Amino acid sequence: MKSEILYPGAFPMVRIELAEGEHIKAESGAMVACSPTIDIESKMEGGFLGALSRKFLTGEKFFFQTLRASRGHGETLLAPTVPGEIVILDLDGVNEYMVQKDGFLAGADGITVESQMQSMSRGLLSGEGFFILKMSGKGMLVLNSFGAIHKIELKPGQEYIVDNSHLVAWSTTTSYNIEKATSGWVASFTSGEGFVCRFRGPGVVYIQSRNPRGFGSWVRQFIPVSE
Amino acid sequence: MTDFHPNALCFGDEFPAGGVPCLVHVETQGLTIAFAADGNQGQAEAVPFSSVAVSAGGLDHDQLVLSWAGPAGQRTLYLKNSDVIRAFRQAAPDQLTMPLERAVGQVRRVRRRHRMVWGIAGGSLLALTLGLWFGNDVLVELAVDRIPIEWEQKLGESAYRDFLTQHEVAKDGPPVDAVTEMTHRLVSQIPDNPYTFEITVVKSDVVNAFALPGGYIVVFTGLMKEAERLEEVAGVLAHELNHVLQRHGLERIVKQLGFIAVVSIVFGNQQGLGQMMKQLGVELMTLRFGRAQETEADLTGLQLLHRAKIDPSGMITFFERLAEKDEGRVEWLSTHPMSSARAERLKDRLAGMPEQSLEPFTFDWSKVRAALGAPTGPGL
Ligand SMILES: [Zn+2]
Repeated sequence: MKSEILYPGAFPMVRIELAEGEHIKAESGAMVACSPTIDIESKMEGGFLGALSRKFLTGEKFFFQTLRASRGHGETLLAPTVPGEIVILDLDGVNEYMVQKDGFLAGADGITVESQMQSMSRGLLSGEGFFILKMSGKGMLVLNSFGAIHKIELKPGQEYIVDNSHLVAWSTTTSYNIEKATSGWVASFTSGEGFVCRFRGPGVVYIQSRNPRGFGSWVRQFIPVSE
Repeated sequence: MTDFHPNALCFGDEFPAGGVPCLVHVETQGLTIAFAADGNQGQAEAVPFSSVAVSAGGLDHDQLVLSWAGPAGQRTLYLKNSDVIRAFRQAAPDQLTMPLERAVGQVRRVRRRHRMVWGIAGGSLLALTLGLWFGNDVLVELAVDRIPIEWEQKLGESAYRDFLTQHEVAKDGPPVDAVTEMTHRLVSQIPDNPYTFEITVVKSDVVNAFALPGGYIVVFTGLMKEAERLEEVAGVLAHELNHVLQRHGLERIVKQLGFIAVVSIVFGNQQGLGQMMKQLGVELMTLRFGRAQETEADLTGLQLLHRAKIDPSGMITFFERLAEKDEGRVEWLSTHPMSSARAERLKDRLAGMPEQSLEPFTFDWSKVRAALGAPTGPGL
């Protein structure tokens, strides 16, 4: 499996080469193009309720596709929905990452994806819902962001505060508390509720330079609504 | 590199912030740590137990954290591997055991608490799902009670906006003024009303009106045309308003999809959920309420009309007249099957109500009918 980021910057794609028999998990809808040797297996079977219960019972995400090079070597091009950078991480079996659900683009077959529900209060407060993905195992992990991806490196004990809606991924050696944003923080102006994460190192936190929620509400004001 | 299987992450000043994968061995006097990185596999760092401090850390507080001041600076080791942790506990000397056991206890407590929280959450989820599955209305109501009005509005609003973009909306004119005034009159009589009602008149010959969760009401001009008296339209409005107030739509959704689905729809901004939302929007429009819900909307609607000083008999005559029409033409009947029992129940209830003086509206109903293109005149 080889991967390469094409057109790095705001409108990138990632090209992933698969040897015969190899497969990757990709966010459904991420695939732009692929060789005819690649089969797409969608995981959303049994309707929404089935997928939902499967998701909650087994941790299997229902918005994944499996792209499998079942009929020979081939390649696929993947792109995220939103404009923004792509970053490729290499998991070595020891390091693990938590990924905000929209941040996941693709993962090698050696990567285990667990959709973890955050602890109830954390999930409800953080505005990211319950869907946080835990990535472990070995292999390539492709993340995407809205805007640019910025890497924050934390030494043991070092703290950093991040607006919730800017979070993309963070290593599991960090710990964090969710705090209500003080007035100085402008978090999401749609909900009016600002929450921030206070991270504590060691570890790495990836954040995105734009806030999808904020952008959404900014766009919304230009859409005429018929009354 | 191929047979190097790291089991821990090591952090230090000159290491990358993500940590360096390393292989930890527990010996009798301490630890040896081998790094595979820059080709010096053979060079293992030995750390005596005497220099190590122990704690628990990581995202879920479930990792064993060892730190010490080595010759090259401060080092911190994050361990998850249970074999290594067990070996460490067996080999570590007494002075380390205390804080270690405390740390392990801490980890265990956190894990137990997590398991308990998840057990409770999972258990109640299962109970809720099963309850919903077998149509336990008490559980549905319990779940609905916990859904904030804002969520309900989110659910209803996107379906409402979607619907309006696909239909011709009457922006002004006598029918819009009439419906607006009637709605205001009715809404002003709702005590502690948590909803901001939005009402739209849609230009369509379809005889229909519906209410979406969150307070979004649509009236078709086709329905207004069928009404001979304004009280008849007011009757439909009062009925639909009460579907919203009693949260009937939400009860149906929860019953059909389960509480968690509602939660995920409201919180998810993910593509799949967006599509689900669209699908749900379609369902919202054609939502069939249960018989008990219809009766409730009828009766509370009747009371609302009474309080608003609008003649409630219009509701009954309209329902009766619509029922006589060809069913295929009257969309409203498909979601509101009319029965003589239904009309009788309303008549009974009306007979038991105290006398109420009626208050006229400021608009002229014959002008509204003229604007709708309905026949007007004294013959009506
Ligand atoms: Zn009804």
